[in-house]
Amino acid sequence: MTAWLLRRLAAGIAIVFAVVTLTFVAVHLAPGDPFLPADGRPMDPAAVARLRAAYGLDRPLIEQYGRYLVALGRGELGQSFSRRRPVAAAIGSALPNTVVLAGAALLIDFACGIAIGVFQAARVRRRSDVALTNLTLFFYSLPTFWLGLVLLLVFSQWLHWLPVGGAIDPVLHDALPLGGRLLDRLRHLVLPALTLGLVGAGGTARFQRAALLEALGQDYVRTARAKGLAERTVLVRHALRDALLPVISLLGLALPFLLTGAVLVETVFAWPGLGKLAADAILARDYPLVLGTVLLASLAVVAGSLVADLLTVAADPRIRLSG
Amino acid sequence: MITLPRVPRLASVAVLIACTITACTRAGGCRDEYCGTLVFAGVGEVTALLPPVSDASVDRDVYDQIFLRLADLTPDGGTIGDSGFVPQLAQRWEWTDPLTLVFHLDPRARWQDGPPVTAEDVAFTFAAYTDTAVNSADRGALLAHIASVTAQDSLTAVFHFRDRYPEMFYDAVFHMRILPAHLLRTVPLATWRTAEFGRAPVGAGPYRFVRWTPGQSLELAADSGFYLGRPHLRRLIWRFASDLNVAITQVVAGEVDAIEVLLSPTNIERARNSGHLTLYSYPGPTYSFLRFNLRASGDSLRPHPIFADRDVRRALVLATDRARMCQSVFAGNAKVPPGPIPQSWSWLWVPQLSVPAYDTAQAARLLAARGWRDSDGDGVRDRGGRKLSFHLSVPSTSPPRVQYAQLLQEALKAVGVEVVIDQMEPATLQERLRAGGFDAALETWFADPSPTSAAPGIWGSHGASNFGHYASPAFDRQVAAAASATTPDAARTSWIAAFGTIDQDAPGIMLFSVDNIAAVDSRVTDVQIRPDSWWALVRTWRIPPDKLNERDRVGG
Repeated sequence: MTAWLLRRLAAGIAIVFAVVTLTFVAVHLAPGDPFLPADGRPMDPAAVARLRAAYGLDRPLIEQYGRYLVALGRGELGQSFSRRRPVAAAIGSALPNTVVLAGAALLIDFACGIAIGVFQAARVRRRSDVALTNLTLFFYSLPTFWLGLVLLLVFSQWLHWLPVGGAIDPVLHDALPLGGRLLDRLRHLVLPALTLGLVGAGGTARFQRAALLEALGQDYVRTARAKGLAERTVLVRHALRDALLPVISLLGLALPFLLTGAVLVETVFAWPGLGKLAADAILARDYPLVLGTVLLASLAVVAGSLVADLLTVAADPRIRLSG
Repeated sequence: MITLPRVPRLASVAVLIACTITACTRAGGCRDEYCGTLVFAGVGEVTALLPPVSDASVDRDVYDQIFLRLADLTPDGGTIGDSGFVPQLAQRWEWTDPLTLVFHLDPRARWQDGPPVTAEDVAFTFAAYTDTAVNSADRGALLAHIASVTAQDSLTAVFHFRDRYPEMFYDAVFHMRILPAHLLRTVPLATWRTAEFGRAPVGAGPYRFVRWTPGQSLELAADSGFYLGRPHLRRLIWRFASDLNVAITQVVAGEVDAIEVLLSPTNIERARNSGHLTLYSYPGPTYSFLRFNLRASGDSLRPHPIFADRDVRRALVLATDRARMCQSVFAGNAKVPPGPIPQSWSWLWVPQLSVPAYDTAQAARLLAARGWRDSDGDGVRDRGGRKLSFHLSVPSTSPPRVQYAQLLQEALKAVGVEVVIDQMEPATLQERLRAGGFDAALETWFADPSPTSAAPGIWGSHGASNFGHYASPAFDRQVAAAASATTPDAARTSWIAAFGTIDQDAPGIMLFSVDNIAAVDSRVTDVQIRPDSWWALVRTWRIPPDKLNERDRVGG
């Protein structure tokens, strides 16, 4: 177990290092200059040169990379060009919002996905199963930004039930009592979390249905039925427990999907999270901030994959961590 | 012990929970003239609130409320002489000799932390703006003519000029917001870009900084003791969105009260149909054009094989039906400029400068005369084995410019010219422009109130933003004459001549200057918008007491 864990950690570090290196090269080679005004306003070339020198961008790329790695070794992510503050601080204020959004979306994704998948497996090939298969396929195929725009149009603009964007109401929030502030946050969370969660739930449901159908064909399920157990007990106590294992491994895979989806969803809903921060940083050619967000995302994906493996082992005593 | 019956007890618990969760805001008592809360749409995010090192336009929107100039432009003020300006931090001013301008500060002006605004602050501000360590974008404009700024006494600041010209006063006051020396003197100039002061500024303006939640919002509160008059709106909040469409959706939904520009006819229609917004039209400070690169793409030493020829450029101008395109894209909310002139320079929209008539027959004749003929019958003219075909770079983030690119492609196809559209993100386009790696590009420029700083930079032989390498000694001479004219009439005459030269030489096709249309919630009255600085006059806006809503009264 320890050896496996060490090997996985080493592989994870190598992956993160490779991602950061590739990102470093890509952002520096991409066209655009972080200090040129995007609206084309005249800018004294000498002033631009002074700014580039102040941030070390006048040095050879390999030297900049070396300096970045040394700083990273000291735990420093650098100074954001566009936010004018340390990258760690910019990420620190955005991260909690993304954690809340991703957590809520994950909850919707798995709660809805598993429930629908189980319902379909229990009614396989009936009309409701076919209808739900088409529905989940529909959601699974939807681009997140499109679903977000539709939900915005319906629930915010037409019905006025939910706010258009942001994480709180900046006018009223501080004047609300504790419960009101909580509700304010929830109201702002609903649409972005639904957008991310529903698209994921489409995939989870299909996966859960297939896994449960496979489990229902196993000998131990036949035995349970032969013993006269109620169908509900067979389904929930015997088959579902087995069929949940592959779904648990989806947890780790859901993380990259949530993080990439968050870039679009956070932009559509003006949600002040890591995805919006990363998108803004890329457009502004804010190299340190791009690298900081990519580093964090790759760490999260590697950690998510590790956690998924550990959860699978914990849930299935037949699996041993050796190879 | 009294025990409530079960149902009423449950009901009371439910009511308690409902109250806790949905409880209305703590009742605000504010009911008078000074209660309004206004939420602005902020497209993008504030970078820093320290004017010499602030970059984004939303930065300016916010710091316009916190920092003041010595004097400010009136909404329709000219930039020649001082008649178009009103006092702000300076109570009055005088010329002691032709090169010396003396400002007498208003003794009532105070920094929001208490000390009075002094001439030392003015001298300190000039020193900071012109220091290379601060790297202000206004450094060049200030140092071009102003030799020094000194403090004669605590309330008298003296500007010493190197030479005499019509816009001396404009240069003295427009480029600088006065900064508090007592708070910034100890901050090393090289660190101003990231200084903590820029995240929690202290100024002498009508509003003081309250809080900034990164990525979400920024709040200012009215300074009730502001010496030029108490602002009517008590709170100003900027709500940030990455995207104009998101911001407009928030405005239409009533979550945001004001946005400075709606841009497209669709957005204008959405705002008009919302039922709670009033639209305000004001002259746009921008103009958009197709710029020809007169040098070969990627090789600035060689002439461009197509656009180095003035007659070909003029033919393309003639082949473009700009009025129809403008109507098609903006549905009457933009005008075709008579030169590189935004609507905010209304004094230059004169009959002497007129848009060349749309004439495809003349365009075809000009092209044929220059040897461009369709020799192989493929619909595209050619000469010496080279097709009359070019790449048009356009920012993918600008729907109007993308639409224009498509319309230009169609229009020029009719005279045998092939246009290949290259859509790219703005940062990429900017880099290509600066590197000269383009044939033609669709650009938009945000112009200062004065053409003196804007025009030569873009079209002058040595202009830092003359990406197309247009060089005309006549234009340069006429601009120099305009900049040194001693009367507004003489300046106007020289500017008309200069822009006439541009029309003749056709270094670009001037396409549109939009009528900026702002949307503001209808409960707000006395709305005045300045073209160069949209929200500069917000302190005079008001919400009558009978139109206050719950959001206005919160926290009062």
